[in-house]
Parts: sequence; C-alpha cells; structure tokens
Amino acid sequence: MEQPVTVAIIEDHPVVTEGVESWIRSDPGQRVRPVLTARDLAGLSAAPGPPARVVILDLELSGELVTTQIPALVAAGYRVVAFSGHSDPAIVMETLDNGAHAYVSKEEGRDHLVEAVLAAAADRPYVTRSQARAILADQRPARPALSEQEQQALLLWFQGMSKASVGRRMSISENTVRQYISRARAKYAATGRPAPSKDALLTRAIEDGVIKPADIIPYQSFARPAADPSLGAPD
Amino acid sequence: MTTATVQPAQPTPSTQSTAMMSGRYQRAFTVAVLFLVAGWHLAGAGGQMLHNRSAYGGEFTIQVVIWLVMALAIAAGAVLVLRGTPSWRAAWAIALIALAGSTAAAATSPAGQMLAVEWAWASAGWIGVLVLLRRRFSELAWFLAAAALAILSVQAYDGLNRTTLAAFLALLAWSTGAQVAVAAGVRALDVAAGQAAAAARGEDAARERAATAEIIAAARQARWLALQESAAPLIAELAAGTADPGDAHVRIRCAVQAARLRRLMAEGDEVPGSLVHELHASADVAERRGITVEIETAGQLPQVPGPARRVITDAAIAILTAARSQARITLAAVAAGIAVSFVTDTAAVVSLPPAGHGVAIEQQQDGGMLWAEARWNSQ
Repeated sequence: MEQPVTVAIIEDHPVVTEGVESWIRSDPGQRVRPVLTARDLAGLSAAPGPPARVVILDLELSGELVTTQIPALVAAGYRVVAFSGHSDPAIVMETLDNGAHAYVSKEEGRDHLVEAVLAAAADRPYVTRSQARAILADQRPARPALSEQEQQALLLWFQGMSKASVGRRMSISENTVRQYISRARAKYAATGRPAPSKDALLTRAIEDGVIKPADIIPYQSFARPAADPSLGAPD
Repeated sequence: MTTATVQPAQPTPSTQSTAMMSGRYQRAFTVAVLFLVAGWHLAGAGGQMLHNRSAYGGEFTIQVVIWLVMALAIAAGAVLVLRGTPSWRAAWAIALIALAGSTAAAATSPAGQMLAVEWAWASAGWIGVLVLLRRRFSELAWFLAAAALAILSVQAYDGLNRTTLAAFLALLAWSTGAQVAVAAGVRALDVAAGQAAAAARGEDAARERAATAEIIAAARQARWLALQESAAPLIAELAAGTADPGDAHVRIRCAVQAARLRRLMAEGDEVPGSLVHELHASADVAERRGITVEIETAGQLPQVPGPARRVITDAAIAILTAARSQARITLAAVAAGIAVSFVTDTAAVVSLPPAGHGVAIEQQQDGGMLWAEARWNSQ
C-alpha cells in the first residue's frame, strides 16, 4: 500500500482543526496523515521534522487574509489546499492565481477536503463547486478561453449534479466530464503569476492526457506577452 | 389560476424633459447673446470702421484684417458655446485672440484720434462675454479689465490729458458697462430657469408618486385575487373539516400555499436582485419543514422581468415542496440570460409550471435526485 500523504493543518480555530482531523480519520483508506497543526504560518516554519507534502490553509488567520503568503509556501515546495469560509469568487481566483492547488469552502470540507489533498499531492486538478462558481463568474480580460463543453460541464457541476449525472445530461461518460472540468482548471494553471505548483499541475495534466500542449501555448503567451510575441497571438 | 401581472413604472417622457428644460432655456440665452455679439461686430464695429476709413490712411488694411480675425474668433466662439460650456483653455484662447486684436487695432490707429475711431475694444469685450458667459464671473471681470487697461496704455503712450481720459471713461462706461449688464442679466435668467425647471420637476415627482401608488394598489388587488383563488378555498375547507390535515395531499397543498403567501409578500419588496430575494422567500417555507436549502449565485445576474420571475419561483415552489431533505438552488449568469437550477433529493417526477415569458424549463430524474433548470433568455 502507498504511503499516506502527509499534511499540515494551518487553522486558527481549534474546533475546525479537530473537524478536519476527524474527516481525515474517517477516510476508509487512511490515505492522509496529519503531521502538524498550527495556528499560524510561523508555526509551520518553526516545526521540526520532515515537512508535510500538503498544507491545508485557512485563508483567514487571526482576522487577516493570508492569500498573499501562498506564493512563499508554494516556492518552499508545499502543495496548498485553501480551506476557507470566504467563497467570494474574487478571493477564490486570487488564491488559485497565487498557486494554491484547490479551493475548498468550509461547507464543502466534509465531502471534498480529503480528495482535494490527495489530488494536490499528486499534482492533479481538483475542482470544487465553489471553484467552478468562481470560474463561471470570471470576467477578467486575461481569463483563459473555455470551450462550450467545458463551460457546460462546469455549470452543471456548480449546480449540484454528481459527475455521473452531468455525464448523462450531456450524453458523455463520467470520465469525459472529469476531463472537461480538469482541462478548464489546467487552463487556469497556464495563466497569471508563474508558480512551481502550477507548472507541476500542467505537466501532470499533459502526461495524463487531460490537456494538449497546443491548448495552452496561446494562454502562456497571453500571460507574458512581452517575453516572446512570435508565439501565437490570443484569438 | 389567473396571474395578474403589473408592469413596473416607466419613466414618463415629461420627467426626462424637465431634466433638460433648464438646459434648453440656457441655450436660448446663449443664442441671444450670440446674435448680440455678431450683430455688434457686423453692424456696429464694421460700420464704424468703414465710416472712419479715411482717418486710418495706410493702416486701413490692417484694421480690416483685425476685423476679419475677430469675426473668425466669434465664429469659433459660437461653435464652442453651442456645444455646451467650453473648457477654460478653449474659452481663454479665443478671449486672448480678441484681446490681442483689440490692442493691435488701437496701436495701429492714428495717434490723437484713437478713441474717436476705436471699434475693436467693444468687439473684444463682447467676444469675452460670449465665451466666458458661463464661467466664473471674476474671469470675465479680469478679461474686461485687461482689455480696458490695454486701451488705456495705448492712449497713455500717445499722451493722456483730461479730454482723452474723459473720452476713455465715457467709452468704458457705455461699452464695458453694457457688457457687464448683459452677462449679469443672463446669469439671473439662468438661475430663474433652473428654479422653474426644479418646480416642474417637483410637480412631476408628485405625479409619479401618485402613479406608483396606483400601481402598488393594483398589485395589492392582484395579490388579493390570487389568494382568493388558491389559499382562501383551502382555509375554508380546513375550517369546515372537509379537508383533513392528516392527509398527505392536503399537507402538500398547505405547503404550496404557504410558500405562495411568502412569495407574495416578497414580491412587494422591490429590491435589486428581486429573483434571489423571492427564491429565498420560497426557500424559507421549505426550511421550516426541516429541508436544508442552499442558494448560490455565479456571475453578474441580469434583472429578470416580473412575469418571468413568477414562472421561475412557481417552479421553485413545486420542486421545494417535493424535496425530501435538501435542495440546492443556483443562479448563474449565462449568455443573454440566467440559468436557475434546482437539485433536490426526490424520486418524484414533479409537475412543473408551464414555461413562458421567455423561460424554458427542463428536468432530469436521476437515481433519486431531481435536477431542473429554468433558463430565462432576454431575447
């Protein structure tokens, strides 16, 4: 059996930390192992022993938003899963742009947190309904272009259908539904601020056949137009 | 059941016109000043210049060129002020051209006769009035003072004595005095026009309030009629004992009517995002039955017209009544409209209200979960 994924929980409310630990314990495969809990980010860097693979990060610590700390965590090699009561699409987008792997709202924790941690550890996309919502609401000019199929899959997923139901509704397989949603997420990893976690997610998505390199080149050039204008112009 | 719908109040054409009324008066005053300035320059200044043609001798051509430049300045000023209040740069550019013209005309007049043949000073003053009319009054005052000072300086260079000073003061009194009087008069008329427009606006607002009160009364009447047709008979049956509260069918009818009552109350509140508000009201009743309802929105939602909202909330009531323990309602902005969806745990096939008013409804039953979507398209 595979080694469990090590995780650090950064959360300033002990009762939430306990809740998260109980969700992790109730996972039948015991696939995740908490190695550290801390009430702030200083507690993470001060901890002895081997670092955790994934950080579950509450976005608001002692009343302050810590989204701007995510790039430093990602640069230090952590995979970050944001876990927050803030479901404002703008905050979700900023969190992802800063290099967090996934965003899980507090309401979604029970059903999605463990899966999101496992996906982050494997550099695979994981899209919660609140993340789908933020993508659907995204109106920024630099947002990646999603296909109609990707948008429809995201919309039905946001509406609350299971992925199997989304597949039946769209007359495609559940696997294809996952593919569409993951591809939309991977396109986001190709835009905005560069981060090692985004590169890892993209590389994995290409290896898994979720996305073709041709699908993302225009968006990379769109994000960094000054670097090489000869790379295809955004359409 | 008949649905009486009430159209929201449209802004009446008269509301829009009162807002522009004061502007229309101002434009009329501007046109009047424009005729005055152009008339003076053509007949007054031009006539005087031609009349004194012989006194200028060889400098007459220069005078004609200055007259033409000032005529052009008036034309440019006319275009500016007819387009609205000119910017300070444009207004002062024209004013300074007029000032330069007036000074040059004085400097090229025969010495000793300057004040007798002078025409350009008054033209410059009128041009100043035209372009500075709706700027701060002090700007016009500075301009007129500068123009007078320039003329006085030219005269002082030629030699100033009692006679010439008296002539200067006489000219100052009649030309600059008239210019100040006209500018002050237009200002007073502007204020009066503003007050008249405000009074008319007040009257319109009163009319609009009366119309709104009528609309509210009509809406109240419509709601009362709706209750007469649906809730009243049910309550009567319960009171008479012909409907049994223990009967599941009767309980569903009660739940539907409770939700409709709640919605009718919510419809009265005209708030932005009325649809979300009304869906919350519909959800309230279901929550009181112990059903967990979550409502989420994605994107900038468009305003949905009343009749279409009613189709959507009717669908919501039907679905929430069928819900067993939980329901999720989402509103998402989609191309040209809104997609309102419902996902709930019920194995029942819910009979949904007929689509209409631009709303299309679809549903899918899938392993004990019902998904339904009401999509309103603005086109």
